[in-house]
Amino acid sequence: MTQLALVIDLNVCVGCHACVTNCKQWNTSGAAGALVDCNPYEAEPNGTFFNRVQTFEVGSFPNTETVHFPKSCLHCEDPACVPVCPTGASYKRKEDGIVLVDYDKCIGCKYCSWACPYGVREFDEQRKVMTKCTLCVDRIYDESLPEERRKPSCVLACPPGARLFGDVHDPDSEVSVAIRERGGYQLMPEAGTNPANHYLPRRKTVIPVRAEELYRSDNPHKIDGAPFDKNLPPTTEELN
Amino acid sequence: MPTPESLRYKNKLYYLLLAAGGLVALAGLYAVHMMEEHGHIISGMNNQIVWGLPHVFAIFLIVAASGVLNVASIGSVFGKAVYKARAPLASLLSIAMLSGGLTVLMLDLGRPDRIIVAATNYNSTSVFAWNVVLYSGMFSLVIVYLWTMMERRMHVWSKPAGFAVFAWRFVLTTGTGLIFAFLTARQAYGSALLPPMFIVLSFAWGLAVFHLVQTTIYAWNEKTLDPAILRRKKNLLGVFVIASLYMVAVYHMTNLYFAHQVAFENFILHEGGTYTMMFWIGYVLFGNAVPLGLIYAPGLGDTRCVMMASALVVLGGFAFLYVFIIGGQAFPLNIFPGYVASSSFGDGQIAHYEPSIYEIMLGFGGLAIAFIITTVSVRVLNFMPQDKAYIAD
Repeated sequence: MTQLALVIDLNVCVGCHACVTNCKQWNTSGAAGALVDCNPYEAEPNGTFFNRVQTFEVGSFPNTETVHFPKSCLHCEDPACVPVCPTGASYKRKEDGIVLVDYDKCIGCKYCSWACPYGVREFDEQRKVMTKCTLCVDRIYDESLPEERRKPSCVLACPPGARLFGDVHDPDSEVSVAIRERGGYQLMPEAGTNPANHYLPRRKTVIPVRAEELYRSDNPHKIDGAPFDKNLPPTTEELN
Repeated sequence: MPTPESLRYKNKLYYLLLAAGGLVALAGLYAVHMMEEHGHIISGMNNQIVWGLPHVFAIFLIVAASGVLNVASIGSVFGKAVYKARAPLASLLSIAMLSGGLTVLMLDLGRPDRIIVAATNYNSTSVFAWNVVLYSGMFSLVIVYLWTMMERRMHVWSKPAGFAVFAWRFVLTTGTGLIFAFLTARQAYGSALLPPMFIVLSFAWGLAVFHLVQTTIYAWNEKTLDPAILRRKKNLLGVFVIASLYMVAVYHMTNLYFAHQVAFENFILHEGGTYTMMFWIGYVLFGNAVPLGLIYAPGLGDTRCVMMASALVVLGGFAFLYVFIIGGQAFPLNIFPGYVASSSFGDGQIAHYEPSIYEIMLGFGGLAIAFIITTVSVRVLNFMPQDKAYIAD
């Protein structure tokens, strides 16, 4: 079974919110209608956003770093939001594993929002239905678009290319390879929902510089026993 | 013997009360219209607090509707004559509160116009859908039970109907508790303790409402409740209040025992501002401690004290549900344990909630519906408890 999903590289994400704005732009202009904005220019703006970026600090000052964590519906393989829906409006598609909401069946009881452990359900306060990330189901199958554009709008918008899209059940897909080879992990696996979306962890890029790479082994200064030149590059011991 | 003057006065007062109830119900309908027209933007609810004040009213009314039937059950199931005489009034109150609560719940759903969708699309794995069946079943069963009690030729069916109602109301309150017990995503819920806790809370809230209405009806009819009956019923209320306080204490104590729940408990019990105040002062002090004093303190425990204790238990119930439902949502999801998350959308922060006037109007509208049904029914039908001179049990 195909399971479409996003893989987000936290090492690359800079928290620019381009995914958030492009998601909002695409989905607010789509057939489903505008996504509400509440007090967009006031102190506490709110509204319906399928994709949100959370930020937290790791480590203690001064050894801290900021992690930007984009979060949308994780299209869980065993979604908590589906069985709780009283009318069956929340459902998971068999053909591609996308979790969707049938707006015609949704009665707006918001119980799915209570059940989702990731807080990614978005009640549209104007349309009065529960909404969520659709993985841009209205564009990924749109044959009028060039094939390379048939991706979720957040993936297309990400400037550093932190977001990958594909079938996580296909072992040869770009996303599966990324998960396998770059330590991809699920958010809160303890919830037992088996999220399809994965995250690639932050990594420290260390480039070891060995002294022998900086010194010539046949350095005439060493051979002839001349006094040590202070302008020479440091030794390996000094580097470490 | 009532004089013609006092009857005229009562007649006027009745219509005045009915008009007042009608006005409040109309205000509730206006709130529904506004929310239907503008969406939930005009409410205080948001994506963090998805259930607000109307749900507090709705759940109180539904839980109390189940609890008030306890009076009827003690009569029909356990054969106590004092309670049997009060079973019709208890059943009426149950129907009235269930109507008010379900109206608020239904009208506060985002799309009340889609009630037909809820009725025709049924997801059997959803505890919410189970509750739709439980509520409608309860409604029908209590009507049948009332019929068996109010029509002489149906009296033979009264006991089986009473048993059915007794069983159904336990399942119903279990179902209400399960709405929260099945939620593992949020820290406040996901506990097997919640269904029995809701059952015990329903006993206290239902009996408190019953006392309030019964005392009013007796006063209206210029009658005095037998002190022996009052003593029995106030003691029962006291026991229910103690039991519910015990259940709530156990719920919080077990949470405190789990390291991952400590932050949430600290929020509710210590640092939660409004929620902490409402819990300790609203629920524990005025909803439990003061009523217990009014019931058990030497020299107290007369009709007025019981009336006041009952009113406080009801108010305490609202305070408890406000903290339980809204406080439980205000505490953020613990998605990144050990880290303080933030975003431009309020994620990872204590959610802000301020009920709007429309939510308040809708909540009171539900109360008004229950009030109107009760007032009209006790006027046109005989719901006055008929106590025998000698009580066998």
